[in-house]
Amino acid sequence: MMFLEKGDLHFVLDVLAGLGKLYVPAESNGITRFVPYGGEKTQVWLQTNTAISPKEILFPATETLYRYETGRGKETVKPVADHHAPLILFGIRSCDLQAITCLDDVFLDGEFVDELYRERRETATIIALSCAKAGPHCFCQSMGLDPLAHRQSDLQMYDYDQYYGLEANSDRGRLLLETLEKHDLLSVSGRENPVPALEFALEVETEGITEKLTGMFEHPLWEEVASKCLNCGICTYLCPACHCFDISEKLDNAHCGSKIRCWDSCMFSGYTRMAGGHNPRPGKRERVRERFMHKLCYFPQRYGKYLCTGCGRCLAKCPVGLEITKIMELVKEVENDA
Amino acid sequence: MMKQLIAQMQEIARELLETGIVQTVIGWEKGSRWYLSPPVFVRKPEDAGRLWYDQFAVPNLSGYLLDYRNKNEKVAVFVKGCDSRSVVRLIQDNQVRKENIVAIGVPCAGMRDQSAVNDEKEPHELPLLSKCLQCRYPNPVYADRTVGEAVVDKSLNVPDDLDAGTGLMGGDLTGDGSYVSSGIVERLEGLSSDDRYDFWQKAFSKCLRCYACRNVCPACSCRECIMDSEHSLWVGKGSSPTENMFNALIRAYHVAGRCTTCGECERVCPVGIPLMALNQFLGQEVNKLLEAYDAGIDETLKPPLEMYGWPDFDGLFRCAKGVRA
Repeated sequence: MMFLEKGDLHFVLDVLAGLGKLYVPAESNGITRFVPYGGEKTQVWLQTNTAISPKEILFPATETLYRYETGRGKETVKPVADHHAPLILFGIRSCDLQAITCLDDVFLDGEFVDELYRERRETATIIALSCAKAGPHCFCQSMGLDPLAHRQSDLQMYDYDQYYGLEANSDRGRLLLETLEKHDLLSVSGRENPVPALEFALEVETEGITEKLTGMFEHPLWEEVASKCLNCGICTYLCPACHCFDISEKLDNAHCGSKIRCWDSCMFSGYTRMAGGHNPRPGKRERVRERFMHKLCYFPQRYGKYLCTGCGRCLAKCPVGLEITKIMELVKEVENDA
Repeated sequence: MMKQLIAQMQEIARELLETGIVQTVIGWEKGSRWYLSPPVFVRKPEDAGRLWYDQFAVPNLSGYLLDYRNKNEKVAVFVKGCDSRSVVRLIQDNQVRKENIVAIGVPCAGMRDQSAVNDEKEPHELPLLSKCLQCRYPNPVYADRTVGEAVVDKSLNVPDDLDAGTGLMGGDLTGDGSYVSSGIVERLEGLSSDDRYDFWQKAFSKCLRCYACRNVCPACSCRECIMDSEHSLWVGKGSSPTENMFNALIRAYHVAGRCTTCGECERVCPVGIPLMALNQFLGQEVNKLLEAYDAGIDETLKPPLEMYGWPDFDGLFRCAKGVRA
């Protein structure tokens, strides 16, 4: 393991910024999120996880797919310019990295590859950061994650008091370490402090939940928990793993415009509204059910992992306290006659 | 004291459900942490024991009544002073039928600010929510029943121990569009129009378009929101400061003079946009241009923007003499 003095972090970030487009967790415009590193004026935020997840870097809330022009019998379609400097994501926590692996499953695996996602993801080097303490809404451990490390990072940083310990998990990570060594920023003489186990305010038992949910599609529980849901999109938009989108147009005028892709949410009525007006998920019950079924049942069945990584953002911000941890407890408790 | 009050709330709920006067009681329950008291829907008398009330029962439950507007179901809802104004609002807008609602007024000494929690496990003192520092109606202005010392009282009534201040929210204008603002309206008005525009651009650049502000609002009662209408060319689905601002301004205009200042839109905003500044500003404009009006106090008094009467304050009907409302 190599070590880096915490006081030297800004030098490291400066070096990284020279290697690609560097994103760091920071306080910006009154909220914490991952922003392009802009030198010392960037207020790097390393206390807890960010309020807005890093998913927006790999999968932006709104992106243009192509521009088009029509008229006088001529149609032209212009792809958006290639904009892909290599990405470096610094300070990604285990929960958010796990969520990125979920996005990878959806956008990269199987028959259909999402080119826009792939272009970004393939260039991305991920520098993970261990958590020094669990936030008030964190429950990643219950979801089977290690808050101290995630093996799918390129470079793992451990938070040791005065130092960061650095360990490479991939060739990209090793290359970064070499570069930082060349800049004389690393030493072998740090201390590998034993990190005490994190204390979580929230714990939940997930054992067997996918199997149980398989038979609960028509369970009255959904009616019960859906009553208080507002059907807003906070949970899905703050979720690092939710990945639904919608494609629509942005018109400049009658003849030209662009095709855009935006985040969408299973909480919205328009999400499943069909061309003829029929909506197979007409109410809160169906929408709330879908969200939890997708995260805890369908996704694990398809990809072998939960689509919830215990980051706690939905718990922190749900206006009515509809907590996924509570739902998991309820699912465990209720009788299932189906 | 609180125990007694809660027991009384549970008793009323049990009675209403047992006698079949209502099929659902909407109240608060004890949350997963000491500082959380989220909404709960009680449908069976034996579940009435779940009801709970304390200084964290922040959510205004009256917006849920909109879910019952097409149902022939009777619902009881617990209301604090500020929440009760939203019920009046809904009745005035014909969104709910008075006879289908049992509003139960609860006393309120102000709700506490969860954002100041620094110990997850051990309960500790918390400051009042900034909106409660500006409380003007601590008693329900409308209720069919009351519990504890709550009395139905429509008069302006600033609690003794509170500083009524000037704006709705406490705090400081940070210039970056983040959560703000004692007298935010006055302070924004003091800015040059460029600076003010810049402030709102920054604020709305972080809007996620999650529509929590709309969905929680008891005055946002359109059956289909223009923002959800797929063929409206007014606003696209993409998130950009302009479109986000359009969304917020449409909402602010729609609730102008009808907003009961419950502050829920601002409370639920996950990115901290000071939405109440807009609502407050428009409320003040309505008061200035038309008549002094406090929304949701008296169900017999129509909001100024819902009346077309003489005198013709703004000259709207100058060309239509003889047309009287």
